[in-house]
Amino acid sequence: MTTKTTLRGALLATSALMISAGLAAAQDYSKYGIKEDVPGACSFASIDAKDYSGRTLNIITHAIPVIGEPTALHAQQFQELTGATVNVVHVPFGDLFQRIMIPFQTGQQAYDVLFFASLWLGDFNPYLAEVPQAYQEVSGMQSVTPTYKGVATWNGKMLNYTMDGDRHYLKYRSDVFSNPEMQALFKEKTGRDLTVPATWEEYNEVAAVFNNMDWDGDGAPNFGTAEVTKRDDLMFSAFISRVAAYAKHPDVKGGFFFDLATMEPLVNTPGWVKGLEMFVAAQASMPPGGTSFGLGDEIFSFGGGQALMSYSWDDAFIQAMQEDSPIRNKVAAAPLPGATEVWNRTTGQWDKFDTPNTAPYVTWGWSSAVASASENQDMAFDYLCFFGNEANTLADLQIGRFGVNPYREAHFDPAFYETELGWDVNTATTYTDTLKAIDGGQNQVFDLRVPGVGEFMSSLAAGVARAQSGEATAQEALDGVAAEWKAIVDRIGVDRVREAYANVVALEDK
Amino acid sequence: MRTLYLALKYLAVLLWSAFVIFPFLWMISTSFKTANAVTGGAKWLPWLQFEPSLSGWQSLFGGVGGINILKPYANSAIVTLSGSAIALVLGTLAAYGLSRFTFKAGPLKNGDITFFFISQRIMPPIVLAIPFFLMLRFLGLLDTLPGLILIYVAMLMPIAVWVMVDFFNSVPRGLDEMAWMDGCTPVTTFLRVILPNALPGLVVAAMFCLIFGWNDFFFAFTMTFTEVQLLPVSIVALNSSVTPWWSLSAAAIVSVAPLAVLAFVVERFLSRGGLAGAVR
Amino acid sequence: MYRQKYIFLLPGLLVLVAIILFPLLFTIRVSFSSWDVYNPGLNWIGGENYARLWEDARYWEALTRLSVLTVGTVLLQYTLGFALALLVWRDIIARRFFRVLFLVPMMTTPVVMSVIWRTIFHESLGPLNPILDAIGIGAQPWLSQAGHAFAAVMIVEVWQWTPFMFLLLLAGLLSLPNEPFLAARIDGAGPIRTFLSVTFPMMGAISVGAILIRLIEASKLMETVYVLTSGGPGTSTETTSYYIYIRGMRDFQIGYSASLSLTYLIVMSVALTLIAKALIRLMVKDRT
Repeated sequence: MTTKTTLRGALLATSALMISAGLAAAQDYSKYGIKEDVPGACSFASIDAKDYSGRTLNIITHAIPVIGEPTALHAQQFQELTGATVNVVHVPFGDLFQRIMIPFQTGQQAYDVLFFASLWLGDFNPYLAEVPQAYQEVSGMQSVTPTYKGVATWNGKMLNYTMDGDRHYLKYRSDVFSNPEMQALFKEKTGRDLTVPATWEEYNEVAAVFNNMDWDGDGAPNFGTAEVTKRDDLMFSAFISRVAAYAKHPDVKGGFFFDLATMEPLVNTPGWVKGLEMFVAAQASMPPGGTSFGLGDEIFSFGGGQALMSYSWDDAFIQAMQEDSPIRNKVAAAPLPGATEVWNRTTGQWDKFDTPNTAPYVTWGWSSAVASASENQDMAFDYLCFFGNEANTLADLQIGRFGVNPYREAHFDPAFYETELGWDVNTATTYTDTLKAIDGGQNQVFDLRVPGVGEFMSSLAAGVARAQSGEATAQEALDGVAAEWKAIVDRIGVDRVREAYANVVALEDK
Repeated sequence: MRTLYLALKYLAVLLWSAFVIFPFLWMISTSFKTANAVTGGAKWLPWLQFEPSLSGWQSLFGGVGGINILKPYANSAIVTLSGSAIALVLGTLAAYGLSRFTFKAGPLKNGDITFFFISQRIMPPIVLAIPFFLMLRFLGLLDTLPGLILIYVAMLMPIAVWVMVDFFNSVPRGLDEMAWMDGCTPVTTFLRVILPNALPGLVVAAMFCLIFGWNDFFFAFTMTFTEVQLLPVSIVALNSSVTPWWSLSAAAIVSVAPLAVLAFVVERFLSRGGLAGAVR
Repeated sequence: MYRQKYIFLLPGLLVLVAIILFPLLFTIRVSFSSWDVYNPGLNWIGGENYARLWEDARYWEALTRLSVLTVGTVLLQYTLGFALALLVWRDIIARRFFRVLFLVPMMTTPVVMSVIWRTIFHESLGPLNPILDAIGIGAQPWLSQAGHAFAAVMIVEVWQWTPFMFLLLLAGLLSLPNEPFLAARIDGAGPIRTFLSVTFPMMGAISVGAILIRLIEASKLMETVYVLTSGGPGTSTETTSYYIYIRGMRDFQIGYSASLSLTYLIVMSVALTLIAKALIRLMVKDRT
């Protein structure tokens, strides 16, 4: 019996069990923190019916709380429901990659279920088990948006199990933007109206005007922008957000990081240089220490009310909307600023856009997968399916620190945030509108999910850091990065990188 | 003049004391904070400046919101004590040999052999992570206590050797020679005569072994997965994108406690003149 | 009778060699391969890694930076440690309390304390800048400017490891014989002269040992940099260990980082031997 048949058989059997048990036997699973169990192959009821006692499941995940806490929570639930022993190992982000990679490369079967950054799929894909057809057909998976299904796929096979969906978007203090005094002040200083920044030039301008000013009346100065700038702490993602609109031309296909045909790095082209110059210029509007903020610092800075604007993952927004946050319901969301001039690499010119070009950055988020060498794949996929079942996800979405962000159509409904979480209408609507705009948007940018992505990104971050500290100009820094990237591609093998990058370009050029 | 000198002396001591205590005070205060207390500027005083909360401390003792440090605590204790004990025994023996006898291996003499021991401390742990990983995997000792103890013995023996060689070198050979003249073999001399007098040196060596062992992060991190977790690793695992300042502070206080007791013990030994001649 | 000498040396030596032999040989072998994320395994590429290393400016800069950092912090630790030991040696109230207090920082876990220090140095949320403001020095850009970041790392190291020097030197002071001091008092020597002619020379051997061990340990500096600055701003606090970590664990270039490590081992061994010889000549008149 192949694993596939066993799994399919198992799923069918449980569904049959469930149906025969009858809906009347619906147990109350609300003690597990969910509102109500949504029927399906991986609902609480279905998983409860399974018996894995005597078996052990090993899971590696991120540190608590981001993804680490829901992993542990659902692991405990799974343990109670099925009788399996579930071990969870938590690893800080900076070390997660090698903790997963070293056992893979040395043939050590250490973990059955893995949680990792989705951009590492390029490195991990040889070691992952394909999600069986049966699991792809469960309602939870079917309702994942096409964008995120694409992110989970590699060379036509679904290797990641989607349980989170991320993007970068602009967050700003709606109370300041809608404050007549602030609007007047802005008009006085710049001659134009205070609007949500539609371009990065506007963003930098707004940040500068409101920098080092006490606009929330608490006696301490506030600042314009909080960005992730610490070299080895995800700064590369913030940088990509800043560059995307200048460098991703909607009419020029075939690659964003590289020209897919020639595999020439594009990181030192004028679009990228311009983005870096803007990033460096924004440093003047950052809080003290803001030029080496890690993600955690950015979350505290925007979420704690110090900075006017920020952009990156959901965390800062969620932090701001916590029950006890002083700026609850005073924030709003918008798509990332765009650019009125975009570099066209085929013509070698800057093209002007009357409506600013936007390039939504569908940034990496959390992914899960099952190791192909695992001997517990049935349990592993059941766990993941359970983790991502509709009931659990709706509950997880409500707890900001969990790090689970919207990825199903149902998650883009503002009513959910208004009723379940008590968000006010403006916050909820701008949030879900932004999510929909990014998800359905054209001209999307995805991460460089190729083997060795870590090297490419750390080289990029080092170059950006040099420009930020003034050690080099933006052009010089990025020229250095381009040269390093060429060397890395040579070392890994042009064809391997191109083959992998083709996956990413396919997502972008769809 | 004399009063000025005294005043300066006390001032210096107090300044340094303040420098030492400062992080600890901050840690204690922060361990009772939540996210709101952290943003908006540094605060020190609970109830006066912020609402204290026990969530940082609670997150250390189980529950889904945090980790349970009791098991890692115990594991750290076991591994550190065993590793140090073995390293001490082997290291002291080797040190005595290097101090009292001459060895020659080609051009290499005592001094070189001692240097060989000490040079094991030069290699940064990262470098050795993968080969140790492979070695333990081959021996089937990955993610086990014995496997870690093995690594710790290699890591701590150089310290034991260094301290004890210096110590034995400062103990006059007269004692040994008397014992030999009485007909004792070197081994008996060592066990019956020298060792009982070696307590001061052993205390210093043991202390360093315990400190370096207890506080190791990197080897424990690389060689363990799920079965065995050591304390520093489980603490660092709290480091997520929102750095939980409160949990980390609480954890730091808890992890330093046993060694602080050790500091006390060592100081008593020092003051009673017990360490006279411990380090030449 | 002298056969028995091997009973002493061999158990420890053999155990040590057994444990580290494989890792050492493995590291040597892998440095001649190109093991990385897409080429796992031991192929043979000859000395390519070493050739690359030779031209790797970032590596050599890291080494230079490390030397400055290490020598600087160790000298500071030595001076401060010695001063502290002298201060609480005798004639001071509550000296037992101070001695215990001064020992405690060494007992903490470096990686955990680094996280605490990061919160202390945090320019927006940490307690240090407000205090500096209050006493008139003004807030400093601790982690966002090169010079300050370097200083921040040094401060953390000094806090953590001065107790090490302090302990060794205090133990040494406590074991000094009394006669030379009595002689000095009779001669009418003041505290400074006593120190220079009596105390310091007698502490020569201990000082050398302590400094050498501290140099070895300090040069492995990685965790503090990792947590506090990530080698930044730019590369201004990147030490060799940290760079090896980036190349090895982040970029996953196992082969190249092995060659970096071995070169580092050789350079350090040579440097330390030279320093040891120089120090012994300088500070120890007759070695007993």
